[in-house]
Amino acid sequence: MSSRKIILPGDRISDKVLRMPNTYIENEMTYAAVVGMSDETGKFISLESCYKPVFEDVLIGIVTDVRHSGYSVDINLPSSAFVSARDMRTPLNAGDVIAAKVVDVDEVGEVSLGDIRKLPRGEIITFPPSKVPRLIGRKSSMLLLIKEHVGGELIVGNNGFVWVSESADIPLVYKAVNLVIEKAHLTGLTDNMQEFLIANKK
Amino acid sequence: MGNANPNVKLMKDGKRLDGRSSTDIRKIRIEVGILPNAAGSAFIEWGGNKIICGVQGPRECIPKHGADPYKAVVKCRYMMAPFASHDEHGRSGPNRRSNELSKVIREVFESLIITEAFPKTQIDIYIEVLQAEGGTRVAAVTVAAVALSNAGIPMKDMVSAVAVGKADGEVIADLSREEDNFGQSDVPVAFSNRDGNILLLQMDGLMTRGELGKAMDIAQESSKKLYKLQTDALKEYYEKPHGAKKFQL
Repeated sequence: MSSRKIILPGDRISDKVLRMPNTYIENEMTYAAVVGMSDETGKFISLESCYKPVFEDVLIGIVTDVRHSGYSVDINLPSSAFVSARDMRTPLNAGDVIAAKVVDVDEVGEVSLGDIRKLPRGEIITFPPSKVPRLIGRKSSMLLLIKEHVGGELIVGNNGFVWVSESADIPLVYKAVNLVIEKAHLTGLTDNMQEFLIANKK
Repeated sequence: MGNANPNVKLMKDGKRLDGRSSTDIRKIRIEVGILPNAAGSAFIEWGGNKIICGVQGPRECIPKHGADPYKAVVKCRYMMAPFASHDEHGRSGPNRRSNELSKVIREVFESLIITEAFPKTQIDIYIEVLQAEGGTRVAAVTVAAVALSNAGIPMKDMVSAVAVGKADGEVIADLSREEDNFGQSDVPVAFSNRDGNILLLQMDGLMTRGELGKAMDIAQESSKKLYKLQTDALKEYYEKPHGAKKFQL
């Protein structure tokens, strides 16, 4: 994959109008807006991007404030989310971690959450949102592989928060996550990861 | 420019004081992703200039009343370290000069960043000049474009900037400190790469219309060289494993 050409902002991707994330259209032609590369089919893959939430994304959030009608939740985005107390069966406290799904994003980027559940004690790891698809892998292959070797629960939020249960080998998770960040754009990542996890397992 | 003196010899046998020809630019090295805590970062060593640029955002706009419900607000802070240069150049925090440079650099990126994608947020560009040797504003624009690409902030185009001017009666590219201080004219100019728009154009001192035309041609040529350097730096970074924070465990 290293032979693939790196594309910079302003480089032309196509002479046609293609609606893809992280691109823009000018004079009926498509240009890259961020650093990326093109795959075999000519599809543009961004290497860096700023996360924009979309419907059905899974988010991990940290409760930062308890107010009289609900909770402010830090979801690693420019604006925090608000969870109504009516949507929760049990009350939350500041510092609690929740997993939720995006129900709606309004025109100024405010997120409404649904399917909210409180997560037990664990660790939050921040991760570049642009590389989340690689951490999950095709049909969750990467995530299942990591879970199998670290012996715990792992939830990846599209917003770049990764929740790891207390029972997992957390140092190993950190190392595995670092490997994904470093080599997200290279081929053979799953094989690499398998070798790495076996070599580093306690 | 305050000391413009036609008697100062800045050219000798068609060569400049540091041995460059009139269209040569200084030696430049760009490094990408040097600050793991910033969303994007880059370092540039341009002759004797050493500049670090870090980018944060898009994040919540502070103060809130400064937020724009239709687009992101671009903020830029250019700062020169107290030890960066001779005399009072960078001596005491924000001053008239650093405010001006922050403004002109901000305006370059306001016209490039696709701000409509991130309403009610701000994007911060922090430029720290550690060592200055003439031409820091153009070096800052050049390195900030790389840092913004590293941060994944959507931009319509890349930008590269260079100063051109006139010293000892000759039109020259990439003025050094001596040529800036004792020359006749200094024209920093920034071009967007794809469509060649001029995003920054200032002029200090005097030049004839003909000389300015010639200077702009040289600037355009130099900005092509700079774009090549920016591209190479980003390619080198992205073709290898990169980007992981090293956790202390």
